[in-house]
Amino acid sequence: MVLKNNLKELRQEKNYTQEELGINVGVSRQTIISIERYRYNPSLELAMKIANNLNVKIEKLFYFS
Amino acid sequence: MTLSKKEISILIEIVFSILFALIFMPFFYENKENNLLLINDLVGTVIGIIIFVVIYFSVAYSLLELFFKTKIIEDERGDMINSKSYKLGYLLYELFLFIFIGTLLTNSTLQNKGEIIFLILSLLLLVSIIKSIYQFYLYRTF
Repeated sequence: MVLKNNLKELRQEKNYTQEELGINVGVSRQTIISIERYRYNPSLELAMKIANNLNVKIEKLFYFS
Repeated sequence: MTLSKKEISILIEIVFSILFALIFMPFFYENKENNLLLINDLVGTVIGIIIFVVIYFSVAYSLLELFFKTKIIEDERGDMINSKSYKLGYLLYELFLFIFIGTLLTNSTLQNKGEIIFLILSLLLLVSIIKSIYQFYLYRTF
């Protein structure tokens, strides 16, 4: 099972750039890019911050595939 | 290929290590047969190294700040990459420490301090370069 996410789609729905979302949750643009490309799995804290910021439930954002 | 500010700062460290090896290591290599106190112009070289370090990092980081106005954001991904690369560096330091002690114990010709200094500096530079390259690689691929 691989942890995947809908971050790119949900971020674009909210019209956030990678940089804006990164600033909102306190990480670099490169970290957002890495998460969107499934290269890096964020900590629970960061995952919840992103979900809160995008106003979605965490299970809608991250899922196992 | 666009590089982030953090990646460029790692490249600055790698370039520094390479320049140090090219500029100053020949001096220590030439004097490896001499005793530490008998090395020609040791004080002059040490002062040269200090001036080089100050000027290099001042110029490099000033230019970096000039071209990249944003601050480097230290986050959990950066922490993870740094811990991985520093762990590799630490393991290499340990390995080279064993190599160094083994060389000292087994090599009876390795008795003058110039050669020991050359060996230590070479190992430190090598570890530093490997650690920084690995850190750069992780920042690019993770």
